Formats: sequence, structure tokens, C-alpha cells
Amino acid sequence: MIAAFLGASGLSLLLAMCMGRSHPRIWLGLSAVSALSGLYAALLVLLTTQAWLWHGDFALGGETPFLRLDGISALFLVLVSLIGGLGALYSHEYWSGQHHPRSAPKGRCWWSALTLSMGLVLTCANGLHFLFAWEAFALSAYFLITLDHDSKAARKAGWLYLAASHAGTMALFAFFAALAAHTGTWELGPVHGQAGLAPLFWLVLFGFGVKAGMFPLHIWLPAAHAGAPSHVSAIMSAVAIKMGVYGIVRFSGWLPMPASAGWAMLGIGCLSAILGVAFALAQNDIKRLLAYCSVENVGIILIGLGLAVLAVQHGQPVWGKAALAGTFLHIINHGIFKSLIFFGAGSVLHATGTRDMSRLGGLWKVMPWTATLFAIGAMAVSGLPPLNGFVGEWAIYQGLLRAVAQKGPAVGALPAVIVLAGAGAMALAAFAKSVGIVFLGAPRSKPAAHAVECGWFMRAPMLVLVTIMIAIGLLPGLFFRPAMGVVTAWAPQWAMTDPLLATRTLGATHTLLLCALLAGGFLILRKVRANGTRPGLTWDCGYAAPTAHMQYSSGSFAGIARGWFFWLLQPEMTIQRVRGFFPGKARVLERIPETVLEKIIGPGAQAISFAADGARKMQHGRLHLYILYVFLGVTALGLMVLLGGI
Amino acid sequence: MPLYIDIALRLLCWLLLAPLLPGVINKVKAWVAGRQGPPVLQLYYDLARLWRKGVVLSTLASPGFIIAPAVAWTAVVTAALLLPLAGAGTAFSFDGDVLLLVYLLALARFCTAWGAMETGSAFEGMGAAREVSFAVLAEIGIITAILTLVVQSGSIALSSMFEPLSGPGAALLAVGLFIILLAENCRVPFDDPNTHLELTMIHEVMVLDHSGPPLAMILHGAAVKLLLFAVFLAQAVLPLSELPLLASVAALALSVLLVTVAVGLIESLTARLAFKRVPLLLTIGFLFCLFPLLLTWMGDL
Repeated sequence: MIAAFLGASGLSLLLAMCMGRSHPRIWLGLSAVSALSGLYAALLVLLTTQAWLWHGDFALGGETPFLRLDGISALFLVLVSLIGGLGALYSHEYWSGQHHPRSAPKGRCWWSALTLSMGLVLTCANGLHFLFAWEAFALSAYFLITLDHDSKAARKAGWLYLAASHAGTMALFAFFAALAAHTGTWELGPVHGQAGLAPLFWLVLFGFGVKAGMFPLHIWLPAAHAGAPSHVSAIMSAVAIKMGVYGIVRFSGWLPMPASAGWAMLGIGCLSAILGVAFALAQNDIKRLLAYCSVENVGIILIGLGLAVLAVQHGQPVWGKAALAGTFLHIINHGIFKSLIFFGAGSVLHATGTRDMSRLGGLWKVMPWTATLFAIGAMAVSGLPPLNGFVGEWAIYQGLLRAVAQKGPAVGALPAVIVLAGAGAMALAAFAKSVGIVFLGAPRSKPAAHAVECGWFMRAPMLVLVTIMIAIGLLPGLFFRPAMGVVTAWAPQWAMTDPLLATRTLGATHTLLLCALLAGGFLILRKVRANGTRPGLTWDCGYAAPTAHMQYSSGSFAGIARGWFFWLLQPEMTIQRVRGFFPGKARVLERIPETVLEKIIGPGAQAISFAADGARKMQHGRLHLYILYVFLGVTALGLMVLLGGI
Repeated sequence: MPLYIDIALRLLCWLLLAPLLPGVINKVKAWVAGRQGPPVLQLYYDLARLWRKGVVLSTLASPGFIIAPAVAWTAVVTAALLLPLAGAGTAFSFDGDVLLLVYLLALARFCTAWGAMETGSAFEGMGAAREVSFAVLAEIGIITAILTLVVQSGSIALSSMFEPLSGPGAALLAVGLFIILLAENCRVPFDDPNTHLELTMIHEVMVLDHSGPPLAMILHGAAVKLLLFAVFLAQAVLPLSELPLLASVAALALSVLLVTVAVGLIESLTARLAFKRVPLLLTIGFLFCLFPLLLTWMGDL
């Protein structure tokens, strides 16, 4: 059954890859078929908690194929199928063949290749084939990021992504090779018994951490997510970085863990959460803001996972289960709301042609659908009830609080709770800013004033996502049950017992809250209408002719928090003042550099290439000197042999 | 008593009693200044009048401008309903409801900031930016106070979270929570609810453009929020749940009154802080919450 659906999904993706170039409609249909069948297979595994295994009886690259779809991979397959399908639908209008005759056909092929390779990454249980799938995934993502060939920024971002991705893959090569050497087989599975393998987890954390975008390995992420077309940003942010998370989740369950691994993950998680959101808040480019917010959410996921690892080490299923179930739900949640807001941002970009928030504003009037859907997504990202973002974070918090309540060995849970709360409040600030600046107030430029609402192909995916988000918020129990199944797949010793989280009461409270909110909104609208309204100018302290440029801008909104993180953000200001009797245009430009990349890795790489330049002086084309090198080399070798021989 | 009657009674209590607090504060301020002052029930009159008034809508505002105050009000009232009332306990409680309380307050904040951004006014944007930025520090302080209670009681449900702390811990926590109460409710020394100098304000400047019923909801919501913080503070610090039902409720009411009078006295006797000092004082509030956390954590080790 599962095999049939997975096969159908894979085959239709293969077909879509081949036919996508010339037949956009068939491609869309095939994408839908593959998404639905992939989703069905994943849900079947999640609901029955029965893993699906398949051994091939032929060799591929010297190894027999071995596919496995268990709870953990099914969880991620849900995201791949869902966002893969919805993104295809979205791209049909967003990156249509009409507007992008050259890149749209390519984009369709690579889109199918990306979803297919991600599905393979999730199902391959043979290290060698996993690496092949991983490489195919990395490459197809590269071609999608650089879809817009003409943009220099996109090419640069793609290059950076490719370099960073391969730095991670290098660690993965080392990891899989070492694992195969120790266990004697390329087939992957739990290896708890061999304590000597524990240090390999650091390779996993680095190799997959680059892809997951955890701080400070996130350097490729903002540029790639901001520069790519929005449907690509959505799948990169919502799903592709989750492949890194998948690797960490998978091998933290299978490998024996080093004693400090839980602490390291908790620490890196806290760092990613707070610094990611600090960067997000300071951005002026809406898609960069969303990209940094992904760093924050990966941090939250790592906090939950780190706590679960600690719980395993200390034998504390009570908090481990809660944190891990919350982490799994948050992985899904983040995939859903992040793709929703990237779709929303894409719709804004599509309509106005700019990602710069200081050129947008007042879009609710021309794009009411996008504004509403984006706002709901922003509230979910900020973790506000009664939406899904709160439900996941609520469970992670509960794991942490239970660890605190036991006053057990998990001292680290104390700062983690405080960091999580701080990051949550800052995420709220960042999203209050993005919604307020982009959609409310007065338009700050002409394109913003004359934008046109997106069509149904772009709206429908967003509506689907919002529906799922509200469903998770109102029926948390329904979604926690499969998440608990995944917890058992991760830690078989944590068998399912009585319900751990008060999901039923939370769901009821959320439902009542939503009803109260709707009723409250409806009543006040009616009351205001009954009392009568009078239009008037915005009160600006008596100033009668305010212009759009007098509004608070995105830079000024983030001013206070940016001051707190000045040491990290190091904003670069370019200021042209008003000077002289006939002054030219005055302007202030602010750029928030990617500090880790530009201040640490950039100079480091420069130092290396400087040293390499020095070494190049030895290569000058003079033959007689080359002969001297050879002579010296041979003499040195001979001397070594002679002296060593004695 | 059936659950819905219990909830309805609590709701009535919260809604009807909350507007007393600003009245008491104003009375205290008038009394210190040697004035007669407005009647204690002034806010009730104001609310009744505002509810009947028409609305001046900024030409830039969307329907969200009207809905946002209602959403914020609902969120604050729901958060208040989650809190136990001394010996009367909670109407319903579940593990992790304290997080729901914190995030409902965040929802209210999001909506207030939303309403402020609607009008495209520089001043209101300024207020929204200040509100959401300073709230980061306030929220850290609140969660630290909650952690203290969790460590002390070993419970993560509001119904059983308020266990009496040791003397010094309780005193420190009281100061910390009081500072956060002042900040979150926009009282002096963080914000002055009486001035109309928009440049220096946080909360009041966000609601400059609101009028009529939405403004009534904002004012009433602010009163409920003040009561919520006062009730939280009193129960976190005082061993109220150990008293018999009536005595504990009376003690709760009395301590809320005390907190209110203290707010009024501070408002009369101190000046507003220089703006740059606001994060500093909030950090001090956070530290006042952090020390009792360390005290309770180390106490049993």
C-alpha cells in the first residue's frame, strides 16, 4: 500500500521532471498527484506508527538499495509533499512562463527534482545512496536559487549556498565513511551499542547544521532565501533547511550520544534563537527578515531536541516526551507558517517589484487577501494563541518547565526558558514591524500604491496553509497524537502512555478564544457602524499635511532593539546631508551586514587567499628554476630515505 | 457550581471591578497633591460615554483599526480568567496554562501595535516600536518570575503554582514584579498616562487616533490588565491560598488595593524616567525576579 503510493509519488515526480519543460499544465497535475500520494503514504505511516521497509535485490553503485519510511521520515515527508505541491501551484502564477519564458521551464524541472531528491533523502537508509540523494538535493536547490540568472545577487547567493552546502557535505562524507568503516555496512540503523561512535555526532551536527542554518553556520541562508524566487524561498525555508534538522534528529536517535551533546544543542539553539531574531528585527528587506526568522526557529527546534537528548541521558521521559513532541510539531508548524508568509511576501514582491520595506506600506487597501493571510501567518510565527505556532512552543516550554520543576540536573533549562521568552517577544516585535510597515499606513512609493492583488493560483495555497494552521490551533490533540508516535520512533524506550499534554483543554480554550475574538470583532464593528463614523486626517500633533515619508520606517521601528545588539549587527550607514544653498537630494542608507560572513569568514578567507597569492610567486614559468625545485625535492627525499634508513 | 456559571461570575468580577483601579490611583494622586480629584468611579462614566459616541476614523485606517482593540481586549480578559483568585482557585486549569496567559498578553500587545501602525502616524509608530521593544525585557522578567514560582511549587499549572516563597525571596520578587507592573501598565516612571506630549510616551501615544467604543475597549482593557498584574503580584508573594476562602479573597482584595495605592504614590512622588533609562530600570526589574529564582533553586540543592 505505502510502497504503491510512494512509487506513484516518485514516478509522477520523475515524469514531471521530464515533461515540465514544455507542458506546464501536465506538470502541475503530476505535481499534485505526487504531493497527494506522498502525503497519503506519510500520513499512513504516521497514523499506524508502522515503519515501511523495502530492500532491493539489485545493486546500485555497488550497494543494494534500502528504503525506509518510519515515523521520523514520514513527519518530514508530510512537509515535502505539502509544500512541494502547494509551491508548484503557487509558482504556476508567480513564476509563469509568460513573464519568465527562459527560466520558468527550467524552474519547473528543478522544482520536481528538488522534491524528488528530498523525498529520497528521507527514505534512503543506505549511507551511500543517502549521500547521492543529498548531493542531488543540494544541486537542484542551487539551480532553483539561481533561477533568476540575470540578477547578480541571486548568482552570488547561489554560489555562497553551494560553497557552504559542500562544506557541510564534506563533514557528511567523513561521517558516513567512518560509520560504514566502524559498523561494516553502509546500511543505516540504530548503533547505540557502540559507544566508540559517539564523537561522530559532532560531524553530524556540523554537516547537517550547515543545511539547517543554525547559528553561526547560517551564513548562506539569508542571501539565498532572499534572492531566490519566493516559491523557492518558501520551500528552502520551510522544507530544505528541515532536511538538515532531519539529519540531526535522525542521528541523535540512532547514534550513541557524547555526554555534552545535549548541552551543546541546547546552547546552539539558544544562540540561534536570540541572535537569529535580533538579525531578523534589524532587516529592512522583508524576505531577509523572514530568512533570519528561520534561523530563530531552527534554534527553537534545537532547544527542544537538545532537551530531549538530555532527558534520554538522565532517564527523564516526562520532560523529554513533552519537549520532543513539541519540537516535532514545531517542525511542521514552522514549515507551514513560514511558507505561508514567504508566499505572502512573494505576492507583495510580485505586485510591487520591491522587497524593501521602506518603499512599501498601505498595501491592505489594494491587496486585502494577501494582507490578511500574511497577518495571520505573522501572528502564528510570533507564537500567538489560538494559532499553531503557540501549540508547538507551548509543548517545548512545558518540557523545559517540567525539567525546571523537578529541580533535576537540567540547570540549562532555566536560561533556555528565559531565552525562549525573549526570542518570542522579539519575534513579535519583528512581525509587528513587518506587518505594520508593509501593509498598514500609507503607501511609501508609487508601485506600492498601485499594486494589484494576486490571483487565485497564488491565493489558494495560502488559504490551504491558513486552514491547516487554524486546525492545528483548535485541535492540538489531533496533531499531537502522530507527533507522539514520532517520539516513540525516535526513542523506542519512551513508550506511549497516558496523555502527556493537556491538549484537550488547550483546544477547547483555543476554540472558545477564537469564538470570543470573532464575536468581539463583529460586535465592535457593528457598534461602531451604529454609532456613526466620520473620516478624518491622522492626528499628527496638529500637523495638517502629513506625508507618507513621515511615517515610522522599518529602520526606526527596530531602532531600540538594534541598539541593544549593536555589537553584533554593526549597521553601516551612508548619509548624504543637506548642504549648501542649493542642496542636492539628501538620503540615508542603512545596511545590516551579515556579520558572521562579512566580519569573520570574509577576512579569514581573504587571509588565506593572500597567503595563497604569496605561494603563487613560486610558479613563474622559468624552466631552469623548476628544474632546481625538482632537484631539491629529489635530494630532500633521498636524504630522508638515507637518514631514515640509518 | 457548574463551570459556566463559575466563569460567568469571575468574568463579571473582573469586568466590573477593574475600572476601580485607575480611579483609586487618581484619587491617591489628587490626595497627595491636596486636590479633590475626580470621583473614584470616573472611568465608569467615561466608558459609558465613550461607548455611545461616534468614531473619527483616519482615512488610512483599515477595518483592522476597529477590530484590533476588540481582539486585544478579549485576549486580556481571557488571560485574566485563567488566573486563580486566592482561595477561590481557578475555574479551569491545565498544565501549561501559565504560558497561555503570557502569550495572550502578547496577542494583546500585537493588536495594540497593529492599531497604532494603522494610522501611518509617526508618533504612533514610535509608540508601537517602544511598546514591542520594551516588552521584550518585561516578558523576560515575567517568565523569570514564573520560573521562580515553578521551582518553588513544582507545578506548571496556575491553579497550584502560587506556593509561598521564603521571606527574602518574596520581598525581592515583589519589587521585581512591581517594576514590571509599572512598565507593562504604562505608569510613571516608565510612561505618564496624563501627559499629551506624544514624543515621550509609549502606550498613550499608540491610541491617539482611537475614539468612541474602540477607545472604551482600550481603556477598559488597560484597567483589566492592571488588575491582572496586581492580582498576580499579590498571589505570587503572599501565602493567600493557605487562608480560608473568604479571608483569602478579602486579603487578595486588600493587597490589590495596596498595590494600587503604591502605584498612585509613586506616580505622585517620582518623575518620569529619562527615556534612555527605561531599559535600565526594566533590567533591574528582571534582576529582582532573577535573584529569587536563584534563591529558590539553590535553597533545596
